Amino acid sequence: MYCDDTCMGHAVITYNCTIQEGVISEQMRGTLNVRLVQIAAEILGEAPDDISVNYEVIPRGFGFRGGELSTSSSVRSVIPAGFSQDKRVEFMQAVQDMWMEVTGQTAAELVVGAADFGYSPN
Amino acid sequence: MPIYRFKVPQGSVEYEIREKIAVDVTDIHCGQTLAPRHFVHVYFDEQPEGASQYPTRYYLDAINRAGRPQEVKDKLLNTLLDAFVRHTGAPRAQVSGRIGETPASWAMEGGQVLPEPGQETQEWYAEVTAD
Repeated sequence: MYCDDTCMGHAVITYNCTIQEGVISEQMRGTLNVRLVQIAAEILGEAPDDISVNYEVIPRGFGFRGGELSTSSSVRSVIPAGFSQDKRVEFMQAVQDMWMEVTGQTAAELVVGAADFGYSPN
Repeated sequence: MPIYRFKVPQGSVEYEIREKIAVDVTDIHCGQTLAPRHFVHVYFDEQPEGASQYPTRYYLDAINRAGRPQEVKDKLLNTLLDAFVRHTGAPRAQVSGRIGETPASWAMEGGQVLPEPGQETQEWYAEVTAD
């Protein structure tokens, strides 16, 4: 698990980004970090210091989509509980649009999630 | 979504086997849920032998959309684990897993908020398979 400087301390909003080796450059990642923090701050109203961004890089040959080698990324965030579905969708849409702009990936190559803090997927 | 993550000991599953498992997982998931094939994500996470935090040597940690009946999830999980065993030759007792769930409306894929299981419309299929 790779962790950027932004993940120091206790975050209120956490982005966990899963990317495929060789698909997203270090330069792009730097831009993504800044823009992801901006989006969460602007739409959900959290202080930038309370927003963290983590990356997990899947080695080539270890990630598949539709049975073929994957080029996909996923951006799964954990946000404070209580936001309306409209606000959640606005947030996810903004993340998707920004990610596609920065990386050149298509909507088909991207999964974006926004789960409530405290939710257990069991 | 779904996301299937196989936790395996380092070097225990060769690329050709991983590829066959990924194809089978995709076929099985789509056969039982009618999901678009390119929505099925399969990852293999290698861990040092003996360092696993999971109850068995090989473990499938999956996330699906919430809302399917338990018997559907049980059948899906068992079929997936059987496929893993068939391709790897691992003893069945060393393979287990779970399917966790997340609300569909909490995720977007293919540019669309995911519909609830069983609520997929032809328009949605057309949108997300347009590429």
